[in-house]
Amino acid sequence: MRGVTDRLRGTGLLLRFALRRDRVLVPVWVLLLTATVVASAAATGPLYATAGERVAAAEALNASPAIVALYGPILDTTSLGELSMTKMTVLYAVFVAFMSVVVVRRHTRVEEETGRAELVGATAVGADAPVAAALLEAALASLLVGTLAAVGNIACGLPAMGSVLFGASWAGIGHVGAGIAVLSAQLSSSARTVGFIASAVVGVLYVLRAIGDTSASWLSWLTPFGWGTQLSAWSEPRAWLLVGYPVLALVLTAAGLALRRRRDLGAGVLPDRPGPARGAPRLGDALALVWRQQRTGLAGWTVGIGAIGIAMGSIVPGIGDLLDTDRTRPIIEAMGGVGGLQDSLVFALASVVAVVITCFGIGAVTRAAGDEHDGRTETVLATATSRAAVLVAVASAALLGSTWLLLVSGAATAVGRGDGVGAVGAALVQAPAVWVVLAVALLLLSVRSRWAVAGWAVLAACVTLGQVGAGLELPDWVLGLSPFHHVPKYPAEAFAWTPELLMTALTALVLGVAWTRYRSRDIG
Amino acid sequence: MEVVSNAIEVHDLVKLFGRARALDGLELSVSAGEVHGFLGPNGAGKSTTIRVLLGLLRADGGTTTVFGLDPWRDATAIHRRLAYVPGDVSVWPNLSGGETIDLLLRMRDLDPRATRRDELLQRFEFDPTKKGRAYSKGNRQKVALVAAFAAPTDLLVLDEPTSGLDPLMEQVFNECLAERKAEGTTVLLSSHILSEVERLADRVTIIRRGRTVESGTLTELRHLRRNRVRAEVSGPLPDLTDLAGVHDVEVDGRVVSASVDPVGLPLLLKALDAAGVVSLTSAPPTLEELFLDAYRSTGG
Ligand SMILES: Nc1ncnc2c1ncn2[C@@H]1O[C@H](COP(=O)(O)OP(=O)(O)OP(=O)(O)O)[C@@H](O)[C@H]1O
Ligand SMILES: [Mg+2]
Repeated sequence: MRGVTDRLRGTGLLLRFALRRDRVLVPVWVLLLTATVVASAAATGPLYATAGERVAAAEALNASPAIVALYGPILDTTSLGELSMTKMTVLYAVFVAFMSVVVVRRHTRVEEETGRAELVGATAVGADAPVAAALLEAALASLLVGTLAAVGNIACGLPAMGSVLFGASWAGIGHVGAGIAVLSAQLSSSARTVGFIASAVVGVLYVLRAIGDTSASWLSWLTPFGWGTQLSAWSEPRAWLLVGYPVLALVLTAAGLALRRRRDLGAGVLPDRPGPARGAPRLGDALALVWRQQRTGLAGWTVGIGAIGIAMGSIVPGIGDLLDTDRTRPIIEAMGGVGGLQDSLVFALASVVAVVITCFGIGAVTRAAGDEHDGRTETVLATATSRAAVLVAVASAALLGSTWLLLVSGAATAVGRGDGVGAVGAALVQAPAVWVVLAVALLLLSVRSRWAVAGWAVLAACVTLGQVGAGLELPDWVLGLSPFHHVPKYPAEAFAWTPELLMTALTALVLGVAWTRYRSRDIG
Repeated sequence: MEVVSNAIEVHDLVKLFGRARALDGLELSVSAGEVHGFLGPNGAGKSTTIRVLLGLLRADGGTTTVFGLDPWRDATAIHRRLAYVPGDVSVWPNLSGGETIDLLLRMRDLDPRATRRDELLQRFEFDPTKKGRAYSKGNRQKVALVAAFAAPTDLLVLDEPTSGLDPLMEQVFNECLAERKAEGTTVLLSSHILSEVERLADRVTIIRRGRTVESGTLTELRHLRRNRVRAEVSGPLPDLTDLAGVHDVEVDGRVVSASVDPVGLPLLLKALDAAGVVSLTSAPPTLEELFLDAYRSTGG
């Protein structure tokens, strides 16, 4: 027993320190998630005049395999709570899990990679204290977001029992995210690779559930993202399913800690492979360097986005048959027939994927900020490389990389659907909006490298506006702050040049301002 | 034969970080072909000065030229003629050491195959196949050192280049630097290792709180400073404390020692002669003493 207390010595101190470092990150993340829950809970009820309309809406959602794949099914179509929390139950639960992944990775592997863990390890702090503090913080944040979600739902008039169970499922998925992260953090010595592994695990668990919910239903029971739906929080709950979260989290954490004891500080379980002794002649300037850095990541993204595109595309043709019932036929006709319905679905899917792809671009920009913080940009700029070349390299990775991914997504959707340029167009019309967000991120980098991370906040704000803005009946100009609001709803509606050209011009303008700032500021 | 011009010329340099004055009227001149030691306590502004010289930071006042050019406007033209080694080298975690070295050389418009890269890898006992994240502090330092020494260049800017190197590698560094010096390369060497500077530097500049407090050749600086004189006398001990220019007098039996300003030396010798001096040693101040003196004596 003494051994354990020794190994945990200083956990409280490190926890306080970690909470201090995350005093913006975690509250913002928690509040954004809570805000979406509250907005959704408050907006859904008044949307439907009668209970009958609401049930029809729930049935329509269930009838769309794409929606079910994205959000999971609605088990009880008569339940207001379940309809209100459709997006939150599964899709937003992913963001809860990611919060824990980010927190745990940040305080474990990132600390080891930067060497700060060594500093801490050399003090009287116990060997397990840093990882314990990281896990405790993730647990606290998960409990907090679960509690706030439950309280928010109750405050909006949803049933207390269902609200509490729903909140518990969010807290649970947060714990599972922490377990995934602590296990992943043992595998590679690279914090970047660890982030990639943990994200991939979360992604696979989410996709398994999507397959389960749309075809092989037993799969949904195997992944924690399926439990949120199967818990059936709002009617005839299977509360015993909640046990699954802490059990899974404990198993993952125990496995992670066992691996951790077997390895050296800073090392990973997976070995580091040696690299070439000489550089390829092409690797000779800032542009080549940035693309070399992005190479592996972009390849992974291309495969992932391509797979999602094919999966989405193959769902689209079926939607007409599934909805072809006597009751729904008039609704479909009103929406422009089966073709029109398919086109709206293509647009809706493309706009979700565009946001995901923007993440790639913002990642490229924040990576450049990291290079500057660590002094690598200084090393590059002390050679014959100009500042223009450095900024162009980052901008090209962000803008061209994400445009390429949009193209891949569109082409893959078209292939999956088996026809038409509509899907390619639907993906590409999103490009100007993606560029605007990325240009703002580049501007932040150009004003001060430390501000680049705020690019994530810009994207989060745009997404939040799009998701909750309409429900809250915000004025049009507020909704219009998000560039995604101005994207033509192609192919459901006609393509429009004006917003696209204006957003492209805005991108150019913001990039111009960014360059004047970047050329005249201090580096480092 | 062109006129020997100064490779680096800094006059009245001011750099503010917010309200803090990191550099406050700094003077520095490095003539072509010399090794110039750049000294000062932690936070004195050495790295800041070097970053201004490289055009990474914008000066808030004063004039700065490198090869007669303004580093803020003509950074790339200047950088083609220099190599820079920072005190804390950061490498790309997923590039191997060899790739990083070749990249840095190519970014200076050099072809790695036409340089002494391979020879230096051997001398520094550096394994170029490891990934960046796997290198220790000293090995990261070697990446920048190999890239800097691999090809001839007009100017070497070295900011604590040996931090993290073991004594053996430090010696290799010294050899490389001596070779460069023999070839006529201009070197600006910021370092806390005074023996290194004393051995290699032609001139030194000592700064403190963003200002230059001393500058000149080591001989010049020594002439301005007190020698430590130690003498054994046979006769009655003279009273040295009242002599002008003589300080810190200590007596131990028949041995007397004191610090002497250059002006006080004739008086002291006369007094010792009168006391029947038996043996006499006079030591010039070490760079370390000059350095400590410069830190303490000038208030800021
Ligand atoms: N980017 C920055 N922002 C704010 N202050 C800075 C910045 N860079 C340096 N300073 C401050 O400027 C002063 C000079 O720092 P500098 O790094 O030039 O010192 P140095 O002489 O190189 O010291 P050392 O011997 O420790 O390397 C210090 O007080 C430092 O805190
Ligand atoms: Mg320094």
